[in-house]
Amino acid sequence: MPATPNQLSTEGLDLRYGDRTIVGGLDLTLPGGAVTAIVGPNACGKSTLLRGLSRLLAPASGTVMLDGADIHRMSARALALRMGLLPQQPVTPEAVTVEALVRLGRYPHQRLLSPWSAADQKAVDEALERTGTASLRDQPVDQLSGGQRQRAWIALALAQDTELLLLDEPTTFLDLRHQLDVLDLVAALHAEAGRTVVMVLHDLGQAARYADHMVVLKDGRLAAAGAPADVLDAELVKSVFDVDCRVIPDPETGTPLVVPKAGAVRRSAATA
Amino acid sequence: MSAAVVSVRTKSASRVRVRRRVLLFGAIGLVLLFVLLTLSLTTGEIPLPAGTALRALVGLGDSGDVLVVQQFRAPRAVAAIVAGAGLGAAGCVLQRLFRNPLASPDVMGITGGASLGAVALIAAGASQALIPLGALGGGLLAALLLGVFAWGSGLAVTRLVLTGLAVQAGLAAAVNLMIVRFPAELAGSALQWTAGSVYGRTWTEVWGAGGAMVLALGAALLMHRRLAVLDLGDDSAGALGLRTSAARLQLLVLAVVLASLAAALAGPVTFVALAVPHVVRFLTGPPTVASLVLAGVTGAVLLLASDLVVQHLLPIEGLPVGAVTATLGAPWLLVLMLRQSSPVQRGRG
Repeated sequence: MPATPNQLSTEGLDLRYGDRTIVGGLDLTLPGGAVTAIVGPNACGKSTLLRGLSRLLAPASGTVMLDGADIHRMSARALALRMGLLPQQPVTPEAVTVEALVRLGRYPHQRLLSPWSAADQKAVDEALERTGTASLRDQPVDQLSGGQRQRAWIALALAQDTELLLLDEPTTFLDLRHQLDVLDLVAALHAEAGRTVVMVLHDLGQAARYADHMVVLKDGRLAAAGAPADVLDAELVKSVFDVDCRVIPDPETGTPLVVPKAGAVRRSAATA
Repeated sequence: MSAAVVSVRTKSASRVRVRRRVLLFGAIGLVLLFVLLTLSLTTGEIPLPAGTALRALVGLGDSGDVLVVQQFRAPRAVAAIVAGAGLGAAGCVLQRLFRNPLASPDVMGITGGASLGAVALIAAGASQALIPLGALGGGLLAALLLGVFAWGSGLAVTRLVLTGLAVQAGLAAAVNLMIVRFPAELAGSALQWTAGSVYGRTWTEVWGAGGAMVLALGAALLMHRRLAVLDLGDDSAGALGLRTSAARLQLLVLAVVLASLAAALAGPVTFVALAVPHVVRFLTGPPTVASLVLAGVTGAVLLLASDLVVQHLLPIEGLPVGAVTATLGAPWLLVLMLRQSSPVQRGRG
C-alpha cells in the first residue's frame, strides 16, 4: 500500500538469540511520519525487536523493510543515513566530551579521506542546540547527570541527521522531570523536524500521551497495534500485563490512562 | 546572548589547554628524538662531533666518517625509530580495540609469531630482505591462532589475553627448538635476533620494512575514526553504519602488521607497545587521533634511547635492546596487572 515515507514494516519476522526465539512470526507496520511506542511486559522482546528493526540483529526468518526495501540488502552505511538508534544502555567512552561524542554521529556522512566539513559542524551545533547540551559541550559525558547524559546521546543520534529515529527505553533511570524532558524533546523532533520516531517505553500512560501509534507485544508476539485510544483498554492490560485496571481518559490530554485496581498489584508485583 | 559568548569562551579555553599540552608533548618528543638521533650518530668506537656526524649523514666530509655514519649508525638508529613508532602505534590500537590496558603485541603472542616467522626464514637461509615477510607471516599466524582459540568467547578480553600468553609461550618454545637445531653460525644470528636487536641493520632492511611501516602508520591514522566509533559499543557503532566485526578485524590485522614490521626491524622487543599508550594517556588524557601520533613519537624515543643505553651505558658488550626494554617491562606489567585486579579499577569493564 502507498504510505508516508519512512515506514518500517516486518513480514513473518523471527528473531532469535541462539536457539531461543524472542520474537516470532511478527507482521507489523510502523507508520512513517508518526511517533510509535512499543510497549509490553519485561522480556517480551521489545528491545530485541528494536535491534531487529535496526539491522543489529539478523532475522532467523522473515524480513524487515524500510519503505518496502529489505534493510538487510542495504549497506550498513546507507541504512545509517536514514535511521539512527539510541540503545538502552549506550557505552560512554571514557572521559569523552559531549561534543566529541556528538561528532561521532557524523560517521556515516564521512568518507575515509574527507575532512571535517562545515556541514558536519553545523549538524553537530544544531544537535547540541536542540537538545540543550551546547553549554555542556566540553564537559566529559561520564560526569554528567543521567538526564544530561541522555540528552547528549540523543544529540549524537540527531547529528546523524536521519529521518527515522529508534529509541530504546530513553526514559529508563531518569526521574520524572527528566523523563518528561526527554519525551517532550522527542515530541518536538517529531512536530518541528518531522522525524519518524519509534521508541520502546515502559510507562503505558506516557506511551499513550506521546505516541500516535502503539505496538503491544506479549511473549514476542503482537498483542495489539493501532492508535493508543483504540488499543489500550482494560481487557488488553489484563491479558498482556496480568493487571486488573480501569482505563480512564487522562485528565490533561484525554489519552487513555491506566489506573490499576486496588489490590490488583499484589499478584503482579513480583514481575514489575 | 551573553551565555552563548561565555560558552564559546570556556570552550576555547579548555580546548586550547588540551591542544597546547598535545603540541608541547609532541614538540618535546621530536626534540628528544633529534637529540637521541644525533647522539647515536656521534657516539661509538669513533666519536664524532655533532656537526661532522650530521654532515657525514648527507655524504659530506671524511669518507671514513661517511661510511661509519651512513652505513652503520644511521640504519641502526632509523630502524630503532621506525620500529619504536610501529610498536607505540600498535599498542595504542590494541589497547583501545580490546579496551584493556594489558593488550599489546608481546602479551598477545603476535611478537612471538613474528619471531617464529623470521627465525624460520633465517634457518632456511633466506635473504635478509625476506625477513620482514617472514615476521609478518608469523605475526598473522599468531593472530589467527589467537582468533581460533579466543573467537568462541566473542573475543572476550580475559580469554584473549590468556590465549595470547599461551600462544606466545608455544611460539617461543618453537623458536627455541629451531635455534637448538640450527647450525652454530645461524643459531648465533637467530638467537641475537630473538632477543630483539637493531644491531647490524642495513638500509635494505630499513627501506623495505620502514616503507611498509610508513604506509601502515598512515592507514592507522585513516582508520582512527573507526576506532573511535567502536568505543561506543557494538550497537551504537552498528547503528552508525560501521560493520563492527569487519572493522575490528581490519584494526587487529593493522596492529599485527605494525607489530610484525617492528619485529622485522628490531626483533621481538617487549614492553614498548605495552607501556607507550599508558605514558601518552598519562600526559595528554583520553585517546584521540593525536594520541596515536604521540604514541608513535614516544615509542621511537623509547626504543632509540634503550638502544643507546645498550650501546654505551651498559658494561656488557653486544647486549640486545630487547634486554633493556624487557627489564623495564616485567615490573611494569606486574604493576598493571595488580592495578587492574584491584577492586577500584574493576568498575569500568
